[in-house]
Amino acid sequence: MASASARVAPIVETQEEDTPLSQLCRYWLNERHAPDILPAQEELLSSLLDHIRRQSEAVQLLRGEPSASEEEHIRIMLVQMEVERVKFIVRSYVRTRLFKIEKFARFIMTDATIQTRITTAERAHASRHAHLTDRHFHNSVLQSLPETQSHLDDAPVFVPPMITKPDENRPVFVHALNDCAPIRFHEDLTLEMKRGHISLMPFSFIQSLLAKGDVELI
Amino acid sequence: MSLPQSLRTSVTPPELELIASQQLIEIIPLIAMEKTAFISGAFGPLRPPLKAQIPLWMAINLKLKKKCHIVAPEWLSIEFLQSRLDEELSEPGFSQLPFRYAEVSKVLLDVAADDIQDTDKVRSLLKDLKEARQAKSREGLDQLNRGELSLSNLCSMEINEIRPFFVHAMGILTHLHRDPSAGDDQLE
Repeated sequence: MASASARVAPIVETQEEDTPLSQLCRYWLNERHAPDILPAQEELLSSLLDHIRRQSEAVQLLRGEPSASEEEHIRIMLVQMEVERVKFIVRSYVRTRLFKIEKFARFIMTDATIQTRITTAERAHASRHAHLTDRHFHNSVLQSLPETQSHLDDAPVFVPPMITKPDENRPVFVHALNDCAPIRFHEDLTLEMKRGHISLMPFSFIQSLLAKGDVELI
Repeated sequence: MSLPQSLRTSVTPPELELIASQQLIEIIPLIAMEKTAFISGAFGPLRPPLKAQIPLWMAINLKLKKKCHIVAPEWLSIEFLQSRLDEELSEPGFSQLPFRYAEVSKVLLDVAADDIQDTDKVRSLLKDLKEARQAKSREGLDQLNRGELSLSNLCSMEINEIRPFFVHAMGILTHLHRDPSAGDDQLE
């Protein structure tokens, strides 16, 4: 038994190379798990969209050839299938951001740091969304309330504020991609994550490591 | 809405499967194909009967069309799984398995069962492994506190299973602790 386990013991996790697609996959999952909006990846996204378009054009071109053999058909089908898979990931990534932007629309309009993390188009959407919901609430209810109660941004004592903010204390599962700088939780607990370490901790502690690309969310 | 309710808190198993399917796997092709540029890189050429490495989703697709045999990864064997199961049952920690073993093994057993040896035994070993690990991760709930919880060697599907409860529980613990430090010491 010992010899058997020794023989098969080292698991070589085939570390895929860092292709644009695998990067997007990582950003997609990070975005899905993070409570806050992460920096936009405009360049990566547009280069991938370009690539999708080029592949689709190539497929269209090849499809036109009547003399294609069976092998050629399968090849075209695989390329097309991959295009669909990538489209799915791109779509899901964009939708995840959109969901957060709509949820935090009012907060985004008041906070300058979060605005640096979103694209111009996303900011325009947030502003439009915040404006529309404001107007809707005003027209349907708020205008008939007394002046002191007709605001959407009150911060009364003992009650959570009215503007939805990202909950940075929400725990997330992190996976260290590199050896990380130590994290200090409180007086008697620090953690230095080695490469490959998996851990559950509040988002706020790994925010900077995530920005550096030392960890990913899983 | 931009994101359906079911997708907001976690990723779903089919999505994990999609991600796992990007991994490369070895096949023995039954058709020839020239080297082709894909978005994830260039694959091929396929020259039967020479082995080739292609992404899992591509292999699955060809397999369904009976255009290739899949070479089962080394860890998907009775020998390997049995040794990991023994380790799992005797050691306190989690044994080391490929991060996406659950997804990959499911896909392969579904589609390419005829390329894997002793599938029945492999299936039952995978099931035992899964149950042993699930029991451990439930015990791990004891150690949950407001700081952090190390879960090395846990796999992606297992993390996804425990995510809702663990995240919620830790969130509550964090919350409980935050209140006294805000000036009210009576709760201590």
